[in-house]
Amino acid sequence: MNATGIPLKEPSVSAAAGATEQLERAYIDASTRVPVLMFYTSAMAWLILGTLLAGFVSFKLHEPDLLSNISFLTWGRVRPAHMNVMVYGWASMAGMGTAIWLMARLCRTVLRYPLLLVAAAGFWNLGVLLGVGGILLGDSTGYQWLEFPGYAAIILFVAYTLVASWAVLMFRYRRGEQIYITQWYLLGAFLWFPWVYAAGQLMLFVVPVQGVLQPAVGWWYANNLLFLWFGAIALGTAYYMIPKVIGRPVYSYHLATIGFWSYALFSSWTGMQRLVDGPFPAWMITASIAAMILSMIPVATVGLNHHMTMRGYFPLMRYSPTLRFTVFGAMSYTVFSVIGLLISLRSVARYVNFTQASIAYSHLGLYAFFTMVIFGSMYYIVPRLVGREWRYASLIKLHFWASAYGIGLMTLMLLAGGFLQGADMENPSLAFTETVETVLPYLRGRSLAGILLTASHFIFAYHFGLMLLGLGRTSTVPTFLNPVEAETSGGH
Amino acid sequence: MKGLAPLFLGIFGTFAFSWVGLTVIPNWQIGHLNPQSDEEGTDIYPQPQSGMFQRGAHVYAANGCIYCHSQQVRAEYAGADIERGWGNRRSAPRDYIFERPMFLGKMRMGQDIANIGARAPAEQQSPAPPGAASPAASPSGATSPAPSAAPQGAAPAGGSPAAKQSQSPPSAASPASAGSPASAAVASPVASPASSPPKGSPPPGTKTGLASPSPAAAANATPAEKTAPSSGLQIAGAPWPIQTIGEPPMYSAAWHHVHLYSPRSINLDSNMPSYRFLYQKRRISDARSADALQLTGSDAPPEGWEVIPTYDAKCLVAYLMSLNQSHPLNEVRSAGGTPSATGSTAGSPSPAAAGSPRASKMKTQ
Repeated sequence: MNATGIPLKEPSVSAAAGATEQLERAYIDASTRVPVLMFYTSAMAWLILGTLLAGFVSFKLHEPDLLSNISFLTWGRVRPAHMNVMVYGWASMAGMGTAIWLMARLCRTVLRYPLLLVAAAGFWNLGVLLGVGGILLGDSTGYQWLEFPGYAAIILFVAYTLVASWAVLMFRYRRGEQIYITQWYLLGAFLWFPWVYAAGQLMLFVVPVQGVLQPAVGWWYANNLLFLWFGAIALGTAYYMIPKVIGRPVYSYHLATIGFWSYALFSSWTGMQRLVDGPFPAWMITASIAAMILSMIPVATVGLNHHMTMRGYFPLMRYSPTLRFTVFGAMSYTVFSVIGLLISLRSVARYVNFTQASIAYSHLGLYAFFTMVIFGSMYYIVPRLVGREWRYASLIKLHFWASAYGIGLMTLMLLAGGFLQGADMENPSLAFTETVETVLPYLRGRSLAGILLTASHFIFAYHFGLMLLGLGRTSTVPTFLNPVEAETSGGH
Repeated sequence: MKGLAPLFLGIFGTFAFSWVGLTVIPNWQIGHLNPQSDEEGTDIYPQPQSGMFQRGAHVYAANGCIYCHSQQVRAEYAGADIERGWGNRRSAPRDYIFERPMFLGKMRMGQDIANIGARAPAEQQSPAPPGAASPAASPSGATSPAPSAAPQGAAPAGGSPAAKQSQSPPSAASPASAGSPASAAVASPVASPASSPPKGSPPPGTKTGLASPSPAAAANATPAEKTAPSSGLQIAGAPWPIQTIGEPPMYSAAWHHVHLYSPRSINLDSNMPSYRFLYQKRRISDARSADALQLTGSDAPPEGWEVIPTYDAKCLVAYLMSLNQSHPLNEVRSAGGTPSATGSTAGSPSPAAAGSPRASKMKTQ
């Protein structure tokens, strides 16, 4: 399985795979082709819709009179619509697409009955569509990330059950003794999501908990969705893509193990720090802040592991689109966690609580970290599904820089604006409207960042569409961002 | 499959650990609180809401008010909420036991509204701070059952320490019957006598003298304006001093309607979107409806037309008027004096410790 005889359990790192292995991979890729492309295509459509909604939300926040007379375009409905489209439409579907493909590859099994997965994707789309429609028509539940009305939630759950069963079954029928670290993360994600989702739904809507525990459960859910679902998929993907592209095994498997378990243990305990100073027993918030601090352990181990794996290979980011996006995402995980820790410390939270800074935090996690890693994985996986290479290196570069600058600018604007807003709010001699006026220029800056991100998504969607239509390059050489002067190892 | 059991167990275990730790244990600790009452079993707080309030809460959720407004007052040491006049004490779990869905809120692009139903207009916001009116000008003294000394928020309870209402006296009386659960019955004609002032305030454009909200003026206005029979759906307006610039008294039901319809007509700096889709513009058929909004300037409908709230808008306002945490809680220390006096408390970071025995048992953070 591993021709180079590396003692680490990375089954697929092999620059010189044998012919049989090549053939086997081709079979596996072919079996995942339809469902994964279905997931990706749907995700792209949701991404475009979510981006348009996001732009609308962002502009309306500083232009409150923009189209405010139409009930389904009111800010308070478009905002949750945007969030849920991004969370369940884009991020979850793209993440599942990547996860399914990785699972099949790593388990070295052909995906059986792929059409059932296509049906699952269809159901999922239906659920998101109904949910978003419900929100826009005034059926939102009012709980962050759980706004979908019950009828949409149940459809999502059924669709999800199909996908997760497939993933677990693939794992059950895997070949080879070794389990790679990516499989741990993916298996975790596939098992955690239904539990977290079911727990959230049950405790909020079926047998609702009392009073203040509802927002507590809501934040517990949103946080675990971010870490145990999106975070786990993104970390697993990064653990696959980075070694794969540079053709070098993961630096330390022990570090990876420590990183995984500490991640599962500590990040799942965070979330309550968002309720700081609220009407809750102090220990809940303190426990989450402590968990945020302990979360630095997985951050450090994962970051160190990736860094040592990459050491000496950083120049490859000049060429490989996958590597560039994935490394950006992996680095953002560190930034996301450190900023998350800083703004949850009580002395700082006092100033950023109730401000735009928390929006910056969500975007760092869901975009700078998760979405960038998934973009990277799509640049790797899609050519293997459609049998074509990406057509324009220039478009990939544009996509990367627009995304990177866009999310960077957005984070800076929201963080800076949030701090100032919070500082003003702490000063009771300032009228409340002044605190809002303080943050407005930053919100305009955020809209500017949103334009960059919109451009980047349209570019990517166009490029993806070309690939889907079979208009990619026919070549055995992957598309590099820059002409390769020297021989580089591995794929792209 | 050997060696996999630890992986599966670990994945399940970490989830279960977090689930038990952050949801089950808190639920065991504060998930079954009861309303508090005094020794005789009266003065029960909080009390369940129903009917219009429940529907109003859904309108609140549907239109995403929670994304800009929080409903929690932080303790003095944790923020300036109390100094801003958003409440006279911090919020506690017991305040929310009947709320479902519950909108704690995480963002303040708009003000905190945990006490909007009880709020004194301590802040500007409106061109004419009602606080400016002298307490003597007790609103509609004839109709208001109890002048400022006995906040109606504590109505069921003779014994409730009115002194704890830390807001300035004229406004502390605000919550009116809307805040009192007694009025929770669906569509009950809450329009108790006290409900007249908002409707009774001068029609658009008429500018009464700012500083002369004399009871007489109010009394005069009331009958004049009450041509149409009260629909009964209008939630009681508060007996605030009539304030004038053609606007209803701040935070009254009528004020909320105008504010929802056209936020910038009340506060030019407001960043709130308008919710005109909750209102209906129609031709006046017979007489001007009692519910019609008192709009001024460019918002005013043309001659012969009026803007009236839909049922959803009325429910939303009923819900807003019911938000009231001014009732003292045993486990939370209410701010002693006026809000401004609380500025000096920075050195005492633990109000819970100062509370009753219950406070130490169930220490709120």
